[in-house]
Amino acid sequence: MKKTVLVLLGLLLVFSALAIAQGYETMPADAKIIPLGQADTPYADAQPGVRGGIFYCATISNPKKWNDVTAHETSTTQYTGLMLEGLISTNPVTVAIEPELAKSWDVSEDGLTITFHLRQGLKWSDGEPFTADDVIFSFNDLYLNEDVETDTRDILVLPDDSYPVVTKIDDYTVQVTTSVVFRPILNSMGANILPKHALAQYVHKLNPDVPVGTFNSAWGLDTDPSELVGMGPFIVESYTPDQNVIMRRNPYYYHYDPNGVQLPYFDKYVVLTVASQDVSLLKFRNGELDALGIRAADVPILKSEEAQKDFTVLVNPDLPNYGTSWIGINEDIGLAEGTHDNERALFRTRDFRAALAHLVDKQAIIDSLFNGLAVPQWSPVSYLSPFYAGRDYYGGPVTEKDAVIFEYSLDKAAELLDGIGIVDRDGDGWRDYEDGTRVEIELNTNAGNTVREGVCLIVADRAAKIGLKLNFVPVDFNTLVNKLFASTGELIVLGLTGGPEPNNGANVYKSDGGLHFWHYSAADNPTEVEKKIDELLNAGVSTLDNDKAFEIYKEYQITLAKDDLGLVYTVNSAFTYAYYNKLGNGNLSSPVATPGGGGLADICYFK
Amino acid sequence: MITYIVRRTLYMLPLLIIVSLISFLLIYIMPGDYLTRAQMNPQVTQETLAQMRAAYGLDQSVLVQYWLWLKQIILHGNFGMSFETMRPVFWTLFMGGRLMWTIIVSLSTMLLTWMISIPLGIYSATHQYKPSDHILTFFGFLGLSIPNFFFALVLLWLLVAVVHVGPNLGISGLFSNYYAQQPWSLAKFGNLLWHIWPAWLVIGTSGMAGLIRYMRGSLLDTLSLQYVQTARAKGLPERTVIYKHAVRNAINPLVSMLGMSLPGLVSGSLITAIVLNLPTVERAFFSALQMQDQYVIMGGLLFFSLFLLLGNLIADIMLAWVDPRIRYS
Repeated sequence: MKKTVLVLLGLLLVFSALAIAQGYETMPADAKIIPLGQADTPYADAQPGVRGGIFYCATISNPKKWNDVTAHETSTTQYTGLMLEGLISTNPVTVAIEPELAKSWDVSEDGLTITFHLRQGLKWSDGEPFTADDVIFSFNDLYLNEDVETDTRDILVLPDDSYPVVTKIDDYTVQVTTSVVFRPILNSMGANILPKHALAQYVHKLNPDVPVGTFNSAWGLDTDPSELVGMGPFIVESYTPDQNVIMRRNPYYYHYDPNGVQLPYFDKYVVLTVASQDVSLLKFRNGELDALGIRAADVPILKSEEAQKDFTVLVNPDLPNYGTSWIGINEDIGLAEGTHDNERALFRTRDFRAALAHLVDKQAIIDSLFNGLAVPQWSPVSYLSPFYAGRDYYGGPVTEKDAVIFEYSLDKAAELLDGIGIVDRDGDGWRDYEDGTRVEIELNTNAGNTVREGVCLIVADRAAKIGLKLNFVPVDFNTLVNKLFASTGELIVLGLTGGPEPNNGANVYKSDGGLHFWHYSAADNPTEVEKKIDELLNAGVSTLDNDKAFEIYKEYQITLAKDDLGLVYTVNSAFTYAYYNKLGNGNLSSPVATPGGGGLADICYFK
Repeated sequence: MITYIVRRTLYMLPLLIIVSLISFLLIYIMPGDYLTRAQMNPQVTQETLAQMRAAYGLDQSVLVQYWLWLKQIILHGNFGMSFETMRPVFWTLFMGGRLMWTIIVSLSTMLLTWMISIPLGIYSATHQYKPSDHILTFFGFLGLSIPNFFFALVLLWLLVAVVHVGPNLGISGLFSNYYAQQPWSLAKFGNLLWHIWPAWLVIGTSGMAGLIRYMRGSLLDTLSLQYVQTARAKGLPERTVIYKHAVRNAINPLVSMLGMSLPGLVSGSLITAIVLNLPTVERAFFSALQMQDQYVIMGGLLFFSLFLLLGNLIADIMLAWVDPRIRYS
């Protein structure tokens, strides 16, 4: 009897030891230390924190799958992005590239080879070791595998249409070789690394027993969450449709704070699916959410409760979010059908586009549609990018010294229109073409987007003041996109997402780009200006020197804004965020990273 | 009667096929398709898009696509896949207990609405033109006129900004943050009731006006008939006249209305469900509509149409069952 008890006690000790042994016994030598609270680092304004607590934030739609490689939209990648990491990452405060799964890298003299040295001794969330095999698997068997349906392959393509060659040197060293110098390749190598031991079974190339394309359905919503494996701070634990996604801490996450405490601080990260933004605002006010990305219209309501309910409303009217908002002028209208000759000639005249730029009353848009919380835009590159031409040098402060501004001026617009022969010829108050027909241009945007509709109304109103007739017709989003791609629209107000890398817009601004929707015919017949822009974009990726690239991209942005004017930019919403004061390090929130957006998920904590 | 039911059931099949064909054509006429949004992504090339189009079968003619879809259903019972989740259509629509929650919310709302409306309608009829009748009618129409989404939002706002309910009780969704992660218990059930009652109030009040007026009108018609006068002349107590004779006949048209509410059990009050964050089948369907996830849309439409036809059939059967004067050949 005594012996049985002793044996049982022994077993109990062994099992509890195994349970406690979940996670690293000691901090790995190659762990990434986040220098929270240390002076002269990007985290000088942060504090090291304590572990514990459940974090709640909200999102609008349900995830569609847990497969990061085949995901197409943010409702899915906001979760898969938290479960995975890449070789490099961008710092959530400075946007600079920094080591992540790779602790360092060397670039060869000719710039064609990058050798990554991986962190050693790291484990996946299920305890399996992380090695170069996982990196090779992710690139060669997933991203570059034609059977796998992924958007990432398009980011990896080189200017000569070839792909980088990724080879294993040893268990912790990986080499990437490109055929031409391609500056953004380092950024592209930041793609998430997937676990070979968990996913190889779904790839036909490695497991001929499964049909081709099985990976495209792998890790769907019906997968048992215990099968999901990653290197990121949180792993999905459960999913209830239209209610929430609950994520648990990854016991083998390799980020540590300066006190040797393993990150993330939160025990759990819960994202509530709240379809209505009005309701998520109410839930925030009710204390059910710890942080929320708010709209400009919500700011006054929250400001009045800020002190009483102990939360902070972060408002920076001078800091815009990523992305571009513009009026697209279709220079190919009627080209295929042989119609709309007057409009086409007009839209192709640079001075008409300049006149339109002078008609955009950006201040009125900012004041009436954004409550003053928006920033005028002039460049295709986002304000936050270190390549933004409003800076003096790469990553430098924004001075807007070289900004190309078309100030709101009815007189200048009228003067430009007079100069190209668009005047009122029959005395009815509206300007006409040279042949006497009245100028009537259709202005479209997607119905339901009240801000864009407001922009159209303001522009049409100002145009009417100088006798230019713009007819505003809101249409359904898909119809709008069709007009864009079929070159049947005239003026279209829309927007595109943005990021820190200017080359990500190459598809839009290159004369043969697939999204060069305002002038598709340029692929066969680019104008001089468009040729110059192509040259600049090609040059921008051919140098590895960021400072040289900055000068090239500066010229590109100024040329685009001043001479090309294919798109007339409007305004970009300013960054607004709200979080409860018990959330430590929430003060680092910016358009680059927020606790609810995932970028600060590992370093936020409850005080 | 049996032959009538069998014949009606057989009619459903060709009806459903016609509904499916019209729906498929309508989806095709909708501008763009599932991949239109992907086109706006600056980082996706035309080659990738063409590849995806072929993989999803979106590059074939509409009739070919329809025929392939129909063939899959008839031969394999395969209703297709959702492009978004890469999972079967009905799994996507019903997953995570959506169907169960939809029926729970709708059924409880319907029961409550009927249980309150019928007695109120009877009261209204027996106290015709008295002040109480007018007040009931007024509130009924008030509930009908206020748009549901607005009512739901105002209700939630009242709970947060005026009553200050706090995160322990929570608003919208099925459970508060705490109870969502706990196993079932009496307290969790109480929390569920706290989260569902706004749905009862919002959806119920819009349905009540109609029911009350129907009951009232039907009963008034019945009360004016001769046999009621005879019953009173016989010396029967008023209560027996009303409940045993008049109501039992007046309720016939409402019984067939009950059958017609069957489709409303699985589809209905979408916007209220969005505001109150209830996981219903219609929300999954709406999400598929927005993304033009065509096979989910088709599956959903077939499902709702089936319930509509079933509801019609049940309404007719119940009418025949309740009213001996009605007999189908």
